[in-house]
Amino acid sequence: MKQYAILLDSRFCTGCNTCFYKCVQENRLHDVAANGNTRTLVKINDEGMYHHRCMHCIEPTCVANCPKKALTKTDYGPVLWDTNVCIRCGTCVQKCPFHVPMLDQPNNQIVKCSMCAHRNLGQDENAIPACVTVCPTGALEFGERGAMVAKAKQMAKDGGLNLYGLEENGGTNMLILTKADPTAVGYPAVQKSSAGMSPVAIGGTAVGVAAIAAAAYAGLKKYSTRRNEIAKED
Amino acid sequence: MNTHKKLSRRSFLKWTGITTALMVIESPLRNFDVAYAFGEHPQEKPRYLAKKKVPQVCARACECDCHYDVIVGVDQVTGLERALTLEGRPDDPVSRGKFCIKALGFVDGMYNPDRLLVTLKRTNPKRGEGEDPGWVTVKSEDAVNEIIEKMKTYKREEILFASPGDPYSNRLCRSLGVTRSDQRTECFGTHYYLNSLMITNPPNKYYSSTYTVTHSLWGYDYSQTKYMVWFGFDSFSKTAKAGILNHIVEGKRNGTKIIFFNPVKTPLADGMADEYYAIKPGTDLAVALAMAKVIIDNKLYQADFLKDYSDAGVLIDLETKKRLTDAQGTWLAWSQADGKPAPVNNCNNMAFDGGPFSFDYNGKQVTAKPVLQLLQENLKDCTPDWAAQISEVPAADIDRIAREFAQAAPTVCIPNLKRDAAGPNYSNSWRLMQTINILHMLTGSLDHDGAVLFLSGVKIPWLEDVDPLVKPYPQQPASPADYRNQFPVTDNIYKNRDFSAPGHYGMVGHGLYHGSTTKMVFFKGPHRGLFALIQPQMTEAALEKMDLVVDWNLYPDDNAYWCDYVLPAPHQYEESKLDIRQYYPKWPCLVGGDAVQKPPGDVIGWGKVANMIGMALAPEYWTTDGSSDPAKLIKGNMKDPALQAVGAAEDGTDFMQNKNGFWIDKKPYENYKTIREIGYGRPDGRVKMYVDEFAEVGFDGLPTFQPRWTSSEGEYQFSLLITRAGWHMHADPNFIDNPVINMLSAKNNIDAVWISPAAGQKLNLQNGDEVILETNPKHMPELPRPVKSKVFMSSRITRDDCVMLFHGIGHRSKWLKHGVWGYRDGDLIPQKDPNICKQHDPTGMGWVEDVYVRIKKA
Repeated sequence: MKQYAILLDSRFCTGCNTCFYKCVQENRLHDVAANGNTRTLVKINDEGMYHHRCMHCIEPTCVANCPKKALTKTDYGPVLWDTNVCIRCGTCVQKCPFHVPMLDQPNNQIVKCSMCAHRNLGQDENAIPACVTVCPTGALEFGERGAMVAKAKQMAKDGGLNLYGLEENGGTNMLILTKADPTAVGYPAVQKSSAGMSPVAIGGTAVGVAAIAAAAYAGLKKYSTRRNEIAKED
Repeated sequence: MNTHKKLSRRSFLKWTGITTALMVIESPLRNFDVAYAFGEHPQEKPRYLAKKKVPQVCARACECDCHYDVIVGVDQVTGLERALTLEGRPDDPVSRGKFCIKALGFVDGMYNPDRLLVTLKRTNPKRGEGEDPGWVTVKSEDAVNEIIEKMKTYKREEILFASPGDPYSNRLCRSLGVTRSDQRTECFGTHYYLNSLMITNPPNKYYSSTYTVTHSLWGYDYSQTKYMVWFGFDSFSKTAKAGILNHIVEGKRNGTKIIFFNPVKTPLADGMADEYYAIKPGTDLAVALAMAKVIIDNKLYQADFLKDYSDAGVLIDLETKKRLTDAQGTWLAWSQADGKPAPVNNCNNMAFDGGPFSFDYNGKQVTAKPVLQLLQENLKDCTPDWAAQISEVPAADIDRIAREFAQAAPTVCIPNLKRDAAGPNYSNSWRLMQTINILHMLTGSLDHDGAVLFLSGVKIPWLEDVDPLVKPYPQQPASPADYRNQFPVTDNIYKNRDFSAPGHYGMVGHGLYHGSTTKMVFFKGPHRGLFALIQPQMTEAALEKMDLVVDWNLYPDDNAYWCDYVLPAPHQYEESKLDIRQYYPKWPCLVGGDAVQKPPGDVIGWGKVANMIGMALAPEYWTTDGSSDPAKLIKGNMKDPALQAVGAAEDGTDFMQNKNGFWIDKKPYENYKTIREIGYGRPDGRVKMYVDEFAEVGFDGLPTFQPRWTSSEGEYQFSLLITRAGWHMHADPNFIDNPVINMLSAKNNIDAVWISPAAGQKLNLQNGDEVILETNPKHMPELPRPVKSKVFMSSRITRDDCVMLFHGIGHRSKWLKHGVWGYRDGDLIPQKDPNICKQHDPTGMGWVEDVYVRIKKA
């Protein structure tokens, strides 16, 4: 299956936020957005347009840390959030190195871009995320990740631009070209390799098993130590 | 044998450790775990089910009028069927499949619970902000009848309609003989009047008869042009004009060079400015004049265009300041070959410079010079060095830009629309607009492929064309509330050439406040109310003493505090439309829109309101035979003739049902054809550099430099810059009363006033501090209302002597749940005293940014 990516050429983003409002209507997120929680929003900063949106990491920290496996990485690109599984613990909100997921408490949901997976992204080769379809300047582009990466690299080289998202957190499915240093524009400074799993999560799947094993080890060690102490006392 | 293997403590720890390590390292497939079959994940399910697409035209969000489809479907969240969102229409030559956030906002505005669906009638006679009007609801038709009965008691000079110049408003105001004044004056009045006086020559075949709201020359071939100069064209409001942005970006990708002059570094400048200059506000005229001088002195102009399509060689009598004509009224030029004057269309070796030429003219000796010679003399001192001192743009750059601009001709342009530096912003903006038009003439870029595009081949008739008058309209009031009679240049256009002209709204508040004649004001909204005004406090005070105030509006906005009746208007998506592509008129094209739904509640359309008032008070203009027989009511069908004239469809129904609301004729653009058809001296039409009408009222017919009306004085040192967020339009509650939009504004500091970081430090301010802005009282002696706001320091404000405010915020209406929000920019802009205005500006505009303010920590 092809893996897709969104490419943003910030030079042609005017901060109009048509992408933002289209996303709200596409996903019926009016109440959530009114609370300030958004899947995508453009902040007009002094050094450029900062798009606050999910980077769809290749190795997502949110997925690795989610204790209930409510976040999953699809093989066609987007990281998806499952409302039926999520316990709203906020781990993803805390762990995302890009500070993207938001917990909207009044509406009891995690707010994070799905790359419009509902538009049959993995099945229909002509499917495009809603934000990309409406961008008035074509600053947003969507396509097979390999092609988007090649294009982004070439544009960065030709235009003397910075490419954000290619290596950040081990690489992402959101590639952003900026004139200024991305961190000056507003994007977080993120390590090049994936932050991967963090040991704080407790519960199901691999992380949970590891945590249980660690807990079992700690318990046994305590039991063993106590037995030794008792033996010495005896 | 005991087969049970005992797990030693060491072994347990070893295997637990290995397992844990493996879990930590994890499988490379760990992120590819699939909890659902493909397409079954909750986020792979659509949130709505689209049921139909309804073509629409975005006629109110900005000038572009994008054509798109409204998507109607079932919202999976609520289970209700409604308009949900939009989809682009790639065939539309303007939008090319795009639209903007404002258009999306309209969709939700239709269902806003604060929307007015019944007529409100006041019972408490005390008007004013915060007063409870004691609303009672009445049937809308009954309310109109009550209004009519009151109108019968007024003389026509006692009635003012605050309304745009749409066909029904025009017919109503003209048939009643009452004044109509249009708020949009302060957006594009300068463009409109200067273009009328120099280029479009109303009434003409296209521009004075179109269905669009503005009648200005706003078609630019952004995607094909080689070189553009933007005098403040890139205001923040342009950041969301999808219908022009998609063209501009294509041009940029194709290598268009764009020069930005603006004291604000906007998001458009970030990516698209080849050169950016932080010009001193209100001095763009100096740069434009210097550019013209460089081009003329070095003969870099397009001589053939000037000879064939302009008045550059036309002779001006030095004594009378009038242009000389032959017996047929054809302009005369000087033939160098024959050594005598000759009709401009048949002049052998026309002189552009030289003179004075003396000769016998109708039995009298006259001395005359060609227009271009007079212009060169006017520009004698306007060197790049001179302009640099005024504008703070380096002289060498001005000189180079002028030469590059001329070298790239004719595929160049200086786009201007709405609130750029050539809009009604400064007391010298009219001269800038004149100079921009002259620069277009010098480069032959008017009515040319790849430059300024003119309409051709399509026309939507006026109401008077399809329902002709049986007798002439009555005279207009001698002393209208907006003082237009004191500005003969523009008053002549109103009275004799194009009654749809925008008006003098920048003075209407002054007229209502100081005058005693007006008894009734009828605001025709939606969203044309107080916030759209400059110095609304003066209008508010004036409305308190009115006998009758009516508003026809989508929402009970601030106006309602002063209204006796608020009539509910339909949403723009509840009306059908037919539109030309004025903003990219490269090809003749018609687009149509259908009503998405029937207007709900007791909503009443403007056509019905106008018909009722017209039939009651001036029936002879509202029936086909001049009788008062309701059966003979005019039909008002302007669509069918427009469609039939070009063979687009049999009628409006055929167009929408069978042609999907779209017709285009993609023939090659014929350069300079429309100039011939609509210009001065048509059918051999030409454009004018020299504006005789200015000379007739004591101003020079050609541009000269003039400074701003006001200057920095003492603490009043911050030049007021006004823009608006891309997602707002005026004070339209479609956006202001939208909590999603308000959140976006807050995240982007649109609720603050913006100054440069250096200016903020000098004032000892921190981001978020409350400040008070106050207009220099010398220029606002009456009813000052300082503005209180938080401050935001941004390096996008590239000058330390400016403060930027956002237009369209600052609702006070308690009936808009989300609308009580922010400051009002208009509070700082003085209403214009006509006696001051006419000293500086024969067009009588409002000079919206010609203001200096003081900033103090609150």
